[in-house]
Amino acid sequence: MVIWDGLGPVGVMVFVLAAKGPNVHKLPRQVAWWATMTCLATAGLSFPAIWRGQDTAILEGIVNLIAVSSAWDSVIWRREHQAISLRAYYWWWSLFWLSLNVIAWSPNLAVSWLAIEFSTLASGALIVLGNTPQALEAAWKYIVIASVGLALGLMGIIFIYGSLRSQGLGWQTLSYVNLWRHHAHIAEIIRAVATLLVVGGIGTKVGLVPFHTWLPDAHSEAPSPVSGLLSGVLLGLCLITLVRFIQAVPVPSESVLSGPHLLLGFGMASVAMGALALFVQHDIKRLLAYSSIEQMGIMAIGFGLGTPLAETAALWQYAFHAVIKSTLFFTSGHLTERYHSKNLGHITDLARQHPKMAGLWAVGILALAGLPPLGLAYSEWMILWALWQSHALWALVTMSTALVLTFTALLYHLLKGLWGGLESWPQLKANTPGGKTLAETSAEM
Amino acid sequence: MATAGLLVFLAAGGLLWSRNIARGIWFLVFEGGALGVMVWTSGPLTLAVAVIGAVTMIVKAGLIPYVMHRVMHRWPQEFRQDSSLPLWAYGMAALLVLAVTHAMHLLASTGIMLHQALFFYGLATIHWGLLMVVSRRHVLSQVAALVSVENGLVILAASVAGALPTFMELGMLGDLLVAAGLLVWMSWRIHHHLQSTDVATLKQLRG
Repeated sequence: MVIWDGLGPVGVMVFVLAAKGPNVHKLPRQVAWWATMTCLATAGLSFPAIWRGQDTAILEGIVNLIAVSSAWDSVIWRREHQAISLRAYYWWWSLFWLSLNVIAWSPNLAVSWLAIEFSTLASGALIVLGNTPQALEAAWKYIVIASVGLALGLMGIIFIYGSLRSQGLGWQTLSYVNLWRHHAHIAEIIRAVATLLVVGGIGTKVGLVPFHTWLPDAHSEAPSPVSGLLSGVLLGLCLITLVRFIQAVPVPSESVLSGPHLLLGFGMASVAMGALALFVQHDIKRLLAYSSIEQMGIMAIGFGLGTPLAETAALWQYAFHAVIKSTLFFTSGHLTERYHSKNLGHITDLARQHPKMAGLWAVGILALAGLPPLGLAYSEWMILWALWQSHALWALVTMSTALVLTFTALLYHLLKGLWGGLESWPQLKANTPGGKTLAETSAEM
Repeated sequence: MATAGLLVFLAAGGLLWSRNIARGIWFLVFEGGALGVMVWTSGPLTLAVAVIGAVTMIVKAGLIPYVMHRVMHRWPQEFRQDSSLPLWAYGMAALLVLAVTHAMHLLASTGIMLHQALFFYGLATIHWGLLMVVSRRHVLSQVAALVSVENGLVILAASVAGALPTFMELGMLGDLLVAAGLLVWMSWRIHHHLQSTDVATLKQLRG
């Protein structure tokens, strides 16, 4: 299965190396078809494991699904961005896809760390391809901040490895199964310090507040097909890596530095900050990026709570978010091209000018806002219910308030985008005396 | 091993203190060389150890400083100098050393440290590297700081476990090479687009 998963990205690399001269322009379609075929093959082979609910198989399925949609979106995106070097784009894209597959599959902390580090570099290189000063700035901040975070995470991993050095198992020492079996041999203070370092370090890649500063910049400046992968897939995979570590090397739950406590704390901060930030966004992709911070917060709360219901809900949240957010990022890229602007103030009157994209955008935003019967509503209610059952009132209040704020903020931006806001809705304007806007009418009254 | 660790630690101090980018690059060469020697002398010279030592030398004392030098050499003189280290950074550097000794005191009972002096050099190098990331403003200084942090991590690993697994050492070296290559290339682009090598000019996005 691992070989099949690796076959997709490796095949893309072969296509890139083989593409020369006039054949280069065929690359987007070749890659898209190849990705589709390998995705179907792996889905078929891993179907029994997915059916049994094996989380690695499910995660790899999600990675491949979003990679395929990213590949097809790249075909359209390429037509809108002729100046981009196709070979460079697909080279880094395939490496990024490969690193995502490795993170999803990895049964070993060391392998996960290396793959996460490499995903930073591959996606950073893709951001730089934007070839604007803003893209350069975003990529610089992303690589530097993420590298510092990951260095701290590695420090924690080194402490864990040093504590189990007597096993003499080499890199297998850091397999999650081995860590779980022998975690009692690691001194409690080392476990606590390592947990703090790993949660802070890999948490930087998850975009948990307060380590999130790179995220809105990087996700908004990346090519849209890459933003979809970054936001929909990578953030959640890094969070799941954290959860694997926390479960393999538990710290006594009475300690403030226990993994679940840290996840709950950072999760609540992320949910609150992400929700509030949505109100003040003017850039369509930054809006989605801040929503990702909020969504990661919800997942962190679910995993931090740690009950079976909460963990299942957090996994569902990841799956729904991956599909919805990547679709929204792809759509936002095309909207940006249509309007020649990323400013939400300029992307208006969608319903009349681009009805098909408006429909897709509306469904996506409503799903993200948590409107039933769209997916995220269920997983969010499941997490709220789990919080209620566990009497985690602070988290319950924070998350409920944040969900209401998120719903309001996203609805506001959606209405503004579809019809230019209620104030400039032509029908309303026409029905008011003298064709005046509502604001003008109310002012006169 | 301890001597090599000490040399890396001193070079990290020199890197933090130095305003001159060319001199900073030489400090990096020095760190890379000392690390390579440390790997070779850390135990019996097996094939894996020989390879890791050689790759460390090639990447850290050769390739990374070379590409940094190549890019820097194309810039006019005024872009080859960092601004002076702020006063607070000197105090912070001293505080960090004290914090490292305190952390060693706390961890002493756990038996994690195989080699106390090396542990100190590794942890202090990491912290000085991190301090350099936040206090230095030249793009290439930040690249050097990240390499220095990674060097400190290798020393820390040697102090608690003898060495990291071969697979991980080589993986880290590969990651570092790609990261440094990308960042140096981006430094060149930043200078090209913004006519500056100061990271403070990267403020168009709001964060």
